[in-house]
Amino acid sequence: MGKKIWLFIVVLLTTFLLAACGGGNSEESSSGDASETTADGATKIVAWAWDPNFNIAALNLASENYNGDTEIELEVIENAQDDIVQKLNTGLSSGTMKGMPNLVLIEDQRAQSFLQSYPDAFYPIGDYFNPEDFADYKLAPTSLEGEQYGLPFDTGATGFFYRTDYLEEAGYTHDDLVDLTWAEFVEIAKDVKEQTGHAMLALDPNDLGILRIMMQTTGTWYTTEDGTINLADNEPLKRALEHYKELMDNDLVKLVSDWSQYLAAFNSGDVASVPAGNWIAPSIEAEESQSGLWAVAPIPRLDMEGAVNASNHGGSSWYVLNIDGKEAAAEFLGNTFGSNVDFYQSLLTDVGAIGTYIPASEGDAYQFENEFFGGQKVIYDISQWMEEIPQVDYGMNTYGIEDIISAELQQYLNGKSLEDMLADAQAQAEAQFK
Amino acid sequence: MSQTARSAGNSNQQRTFMTRLKKNYIGWIFILLSVLGIGLFYFYPMVQAFLLSLRSGMGANLEFVGFDNYVRLFSDPTFITSLTNTFIYLLVQVPVMILLALFFSVLLNDPKLKFRGFFRTAIFLPAVTSLVAYAVIFKYLFGNDGLVNEFLLGMNLISTPLNWLSDPVLAKITIIIAITWRWTGYNMIFYLSALQNVDKSMYEAARIDGASSIQQFFFITIPLLKPIILFTSIVSTIGTLQLFDEVMNITNGGPGNATMSISMYIYNLSFEYTPDFGYAATVSYVIVVLVVILSFLQFRVAGDRD
Repeated sequence: MGKKIWLFIVVLLTTFLLAACGGGNSEESSSGDASETTADGATKIVAWAWDPNFNIAALNLASENYNGDTEIELEVIENAQDDIVQKLNTGLSSGTMKGMPNLVLIEDQRAQSFLQSYPDAFYPIGDYFNPEDFADYKLAPTSLEGEQYGLPFDTGATGFFYRTDYLEEAGYTHDDLVDLTWAEFVEIAKDVKEQTGHAMLALDPNDLGILRIMMQTTGTWYTTEDGTINLADNEPLKRALEHYKELMDNDLVKLVSDWSQYLAAFNSGDVASVPAGNWIAPSIEAEESQSGLWAVAPIPRLDMEGAVNASNHGGSSWYVLNIDGKEAAAEFLGNTFGSNVDFYQSLLTDVGAIGTYIPASEGDAYQFENEFFGGQKVIYDISQWMEEIPQVDYGMNTYGIEDIISAELQQYLNGKSLEDMLADAQAQAEAQFK
Repeated sequence: MSQTARSAGNSNQQRTFMTRLKKNYIGWIFILLSVLGIGLFYFYPMVQAFLLSLRSGMGANLEFVGFDNYVRLFSDPTFITSLTNTFIYLLVQVPVMILLALFFSVLLNDPKLKFRGFFRTAIFLPAVTSLVAYAVIFKYLFGNDGLVNEFLLGMNLISTPLNWLSDPVLAKITIIIAITWRWTGYNMIFYLSALQNVDKSMYEAARIDGASSIQQFFFITIPLLKPIILFTSIVSTIGTLQLFDEVMNITNGGPGNATMSISMYIYNLSFEYTPDFGYAATVSYVIVVLVVILSFLQFRVAGDRD
């Protein structure tokens, strides 16, 4: 008798265990899963994005402005960008599309890695808007094999933001700072240091954004269009590295180790300029006491043939996943980010996001004279520079190659020759990304 | 004839086996549950990870490449750097931490010490803080305008702020200081509890024989704590090989790859670069192999009692 009771308990425990294991699956689909129809007949779309003040605010604004045929209810789930990258990678590589969103924001420099790693995971949306309405440089990263997968969102068009007071003290007016080369920038940095004692810019040694900015002024990248690794004979990269070293060697840079220190460097008035993507402007404006002390000039170019005073730094685009509800999601994007000029005006005034939709730049909001920047039409200027940004193919391995370069860069700064450094980096990258 | 005999013997054996099974079946069922659980959640993923390590490719396009990934390890400079870094952490940090923990535990074991409970808690407290939270705080402490630099500047020990996080050597030192702070108290608790079991009469006898306290430490305390020292050094070795949170949050592997650990490289291979889960699994297996080898070595060196 006693044995039977034991047996019964064991069976009972087993059942509980199995029930607990199996139970998870049936329950999780009810919340957060993409694409259902809600009670009032609207199609539900789930979107993943980061930054509530910027990307998510833009999405919500788009949802308010949407006026297409299909009724849509948008649910935005906020995640840090790193988490989105992780969740997409684990989710997509597992082969099931369960739990994936309909809409996702992906940084341009990562886009190719996703598009090529997970064929068929993304839905081509070229039919829902006209890609030619968007800035040229945004199209290469967002398309693959002739199909348009991404709808270009914000621009990373760069500007050379500088402190007018410091630069004046060093003897420079705005006209002296327009259409510079990076070599001239370094000379000016030396003057600024000598006259005012301030470093010209702040840099995080782990973040090589400044090299990418310099390189893209000539339309080159770490890889060529067919994916060949292009480091050893990359003349623009060589020049960029030389400038970088000269800035470092002459103590013209304030070194920081994370983002908040980077922001603090210019908010505290320590550094004289910020050459970066235009999205840095709100952070500069955050320090109200410096109102009127800033201006922005076009980004310096490398002193080479074909280089222009325009470059890109960051920026991302919207992608639709190839799951149920993809047509509704694509229609939503096409109707808002893809064609609505008025929406772009409120995007600018309410969120401060500069899109890459060219027809929008003729609107009123772009003419705004910004008091913080001494009455300069900052947004209009940036939108003009945006159209000149040379198009580059970011390829698949930007971040992988950059880690190799940043390790080699340390040795270069410590005296290794530039040729050796790049040859070593080339060999490493070729071994790693064949 | 012989055939029938054999089959009879067989069925006899079977019968005893069956009766034994029947006798113990409840025990078997209990064991079965945990065996199934361990098999399903430990061994099955391990086998799958090994199979994954034989494949390579971007994201979902994995192809079978045999042992190519393992060959690739030897010509992968980033892997070699991260391996070297991990060993530097291991060789510097584990001994320093073990010695410090021993030192603290002996001090705190002194029955004449006042506020013992307070000091014990204070030294153990870091071990209960969240890895990410303390790593972020260390990042700010060692920042260019951080408290450490302010302090050193204020004491006139240095004239310009040290680049704790952006100098290859100082960044490693920062990481080592951080993990030592976090784990010393944890190890100290093991030694303290072991010291409680040491017979006091031994020290008494030693004192009567005229042994100094240093001699007592080396000839009584250390030999008696040997099994615990072995245990803590193995646990710390495994922990250091899996080092991730601190590096990720304090230096993000930088400057360059100067503080990159193996685990962080695995993370980068899977999520930061274009994902190659096959190769990432291969690198994970390196950690498994290293843990086995190092634990074996430590057992060999310190394990034999005579």
